[in-house]
Amino acid sequence: MIFDFALIVDSIPKMLAGFWMTFELWFLSAVLGMALAIILLLMRISGRWYLYAPAMAYIYIFRGTPILVQIFIIYHGFPQLEFIRESIFWPILREPFGCAILALTLNTGAYVSEILRGGVLGVDRGLKEAGAALGLSSTHRFIYITSPIAIRLALPAYSNDIISLMKSTALASTITLLDMMGIARTIVAETYAPYEIFLSLTVIYLILTWIIQKSIGLIEKRMSRHVRSEA
Amino acid sequence: MIDSELTNIIQLENVDKFFGDFQALKNVNLSVKKGERIVVCGPSGSGKSTLIRCINRLEEHNSGRIVINGHELTSDVANIDAVRSEVGMVFQNFNLFPHLTIIKNLMLAPRLVRKASKSEAHDTAMKYLNRVKIPEQADKYPSQLSGGQQQRVAIARALCMNPEVMLFDEPTSALDPEMISEVLDVMTDLARDGMTMIVVTHEMGFARSVADNIVFMDEGEIVESNPPEEFFGNPKNERTKLFLSQILSH
Amino acid sequence: MEALNGWWDDFFWGSVVVADVFVVSLILTVLFGLTGAAAKLSKNRVAQSIANGYTIIFRGTPEILVLLLFYFGSAIALTAIAQISNPEIKYVDIPPFWAGSIAIALIVGSYATETFRGAFLGVEPGQIEAARALGLSNFKTFIYVRIPAMWRLALPPFGNHMLSLIKDTALISIIGLEETLFVAEQAIATTGKPFTMFIVVGAIYLGFSTIITLSVVVLEKYANQHLKIAR
Repeated sequence: MIFDFALIVDSIPKMLAGFWMTFELWFLSAVLGMALAIILLLMRISGRWYLYAPAMAYIYIFRGTPILVQIFIIYHGFPQLEFIRESIFWPILREPFGCAILALTLNTGAYVSEILRGGVLGVDRGLKEAGAALGLSSTHRFIYITSPIAIRLALPAYSNDIISLMKSTALASTITLLDMMGIARTIVAETYAPYEIFLSLTVIYLILTWIIQKSIGLIEKRMSRHVRSEA
Repeated sequence: MIDSELTNIIQLENVDKFFGDFQALKNVNLSVKKGERIVVCGPSGSGKSTLIRCINRLEEHNSGRIVINGHELTSDVANIDAVRSEVGMVFQNFNLFPHLTIIKNLMLAPRLVRKASKSEAHDTAMKYLNRVKIPEQADKYPSQLSGGQQQRVAIARALCMNPEVMLFDEPTSALDPEMISEVLDVMTDLARDGMTMIVVTHEMGFARSVADNIVFMDEGEIVESNPPEEFFGNPKNERTKLFLSQILSH
Repeated sequence: MEALNGWWDDFFWGSVVVADVFVVSLILTVLFGLTGAAAKLSKNRVAQSIANGYTIIFRGTPEILVLLLFYFGSAIALTAIAQISNPEIKYVDIPPFWAGSIAIALIVGSYATETFRGAFLGVEPGQIEAARALGLSNFKTFIYVRIPAMWRLALPPFGNHMLSLIKDTALISIIGLEETLFVAEQAIATTGKPFTMFIVVGAIYLGFSTIITLSVVVLEKYANQHLKIAR
C-alpha cells in the first residue's frame, strides 16, 4: 500500500491548528491539578481523620477508575442531575471544554498528590529531627526543610505524570473537542486514511512529550547540582 | 526541690521510657549543673541515645519528670519549642540540610525562631564558622565537605542558637578515624569555654580529659556515675568493669 | 435505580469481557516487558536501540491513538511499528478484543520494560557471584536467583502497571469491544440515564482495581516474608 504523502503534508497543518486546544487542556489541568494536589496532600498528612479520610477516599476513587469514565460521567452524566443543571457552574459544565478541564484536573490532582506524598515520605527523618532540635516549628520544618527536598525527589515521577496528562488530553476528542486528536479523527472520517493521519499525529505527540521530558530533566539537573549522588 | 531546680540546669527524675513492650529507660535519675561536662557511655541498646533524645523531646518519656532550665517537659508545644531553642543537638549523621549552603544552614533557625535579621544571622553564623575553623566553606554545599567538616558545621549550626546546653549523640561514630580529632578538638574548646554539655560517645580519651562526670548506662539503667579518676581507676560495679575491659583492651 | 433492571446481566457479561482482556493483556505485558528489559540489558546494540525505540514510542503516544492505529491495523501499520519494536507478526483482520489487548499490552509493556530493567539492576551482584561460584549455570542462575530477586523489587511498580491495564480496557470500547462502557451506552440509549449508567461502570472498575490492589498487597507480603526481622 502506498503512503499518501500529499495527504500527510496537507493534514499536518490542520492537526497543528488543534495544538492550542491541546496545550490549553494540558496546561490548565496541570496547574489546577497541582493546586488540588497540594490541598489533598496537606489533608492527607494532617493526621486528622476528618481530613485524611476524605482525601484518601477521593484519591482511591480517582486513581481506581478509568479517566474516560470520569470524563463521560461529567460530560454525559451530569446533565441528568437537576441540581447540576440549576447550579451556578452549569455554564461551565454544559460545555465540553469545561467538562474536559474538570475531569482532567480532578484526575491528575489525585495522582500528583500521591507523587508529592512520596517525595515527602522520602525526606530523611534525621533532617526533620535536626530542624526540630534547632527549635523550628513543624510548619517551618515543612516549608523550609521538607518541601524543597520533597519536590526534588518527586520530580521524576511528576515528569511521568505530566506526560500522561498530555496523552490524556487526546481523550477530549471523545466529547467533540477539536484538539489535535479530534481534528485527526475528523480527517480520517472524511478521507478513510487512518494510517497516514494517525502515524503523523503520533510523531507530533512524540515530539511534544520529548520536549516536556527534556525540560523537566533540565530542572531536575539544576535542583540536584549540589547533591552528591549516593554511590 | 526548688533549690536543686535552680542550680541544676537539667534534672531527670524517675524517668521511664518504653518503645512498645521494650523498656529503654528504667527509673533514670540525673542532675546536671550549669557548666558541667557529662559523658554518657555504655553498650549498644543501653538507652544512652534515648536518654539525651528525651531531653530535647525528640522522644517522649512515659513517666517521671524532666526539667530543663526551669521548663518542665510536657506535651505543651510552646514549652517544647522553648526548650529546644535553649538546647543544641549534634547528631551522629550530621543532618545538615543538603539543599542549603553552609552559611544558610547556620542562618535558618536564628532567622525563623529568634527572628534575627539577615545581617545579624549572617554575623553570628560567620562568628561560629570561624570558631570551628572553617570560615572559607561558607558558600559551599554540605555534599562538598568532608565528614569531619560537616560535623563541625553541625556544631556551629547548633551554637548559632546560643544554647545553654549542648547535647552530642555519638558525634564521631560516623567519621573516618583521621577526622575524629578535628571534631573532638572543637568539642574540647567548647568545654573549656564553659559550655554545659552531655556527650554520648565511645571516645574514652576525650572522656578522661574533658568530663566532670562519666555516666555508665546498661540496659536502660544508670549503673555508675563518677568523675573520671574514680570511674576509670576504681570502677565499683561488675558491669562497669566488664564494659571497661572490653573497650579499653585495644 | 429501577432503570438498571434488566441491565444487570449485560453489565455482568461486560465485566467478564474486562476480566478476559485483563488476563490476556497481562500475560502479553509481562512478555513484552521481560523481552524489552532483556534487550536493554544485553550488550547487543541493535537490540538496545530497538528496545529504546519501543519504550520511547509507546510511552510518548496517547493510548487512544495507539488503539485506533491498531484497530485500523493492517500489515502496513504493524510493519511500520514493528521496525522499531521487536517481533515481526502479520495480522490481517483483528477483532477488537485482540487489537485492544495487544495494543494496551504494548503500551503498558513499555513501562514494564523500565520497571523490570530497574529491578534486574537492583539485584545484588553478590548473589549472582555466589550462585556462579556454587556452580549454577547462567540459565539456572537466571531462573532461580535473578528472577525471584527481581520480582520482589518489581512488584510494587508492577502493581501500578496492572491497574493501568484494567483501566485502559475502558478505552477499547471505542473500537467496539462489548465491555461495560459499551453496555452502558446501550443502556443510556434506552433509559436516558447517563449518570446512573456511567456510575455503575465506574463502580465496576473500582471493584476490579480494589481486587488488584489487595492481591498485590498479599503478593508483597508473600514475597517479603523471609525479610521479617526476628525480634
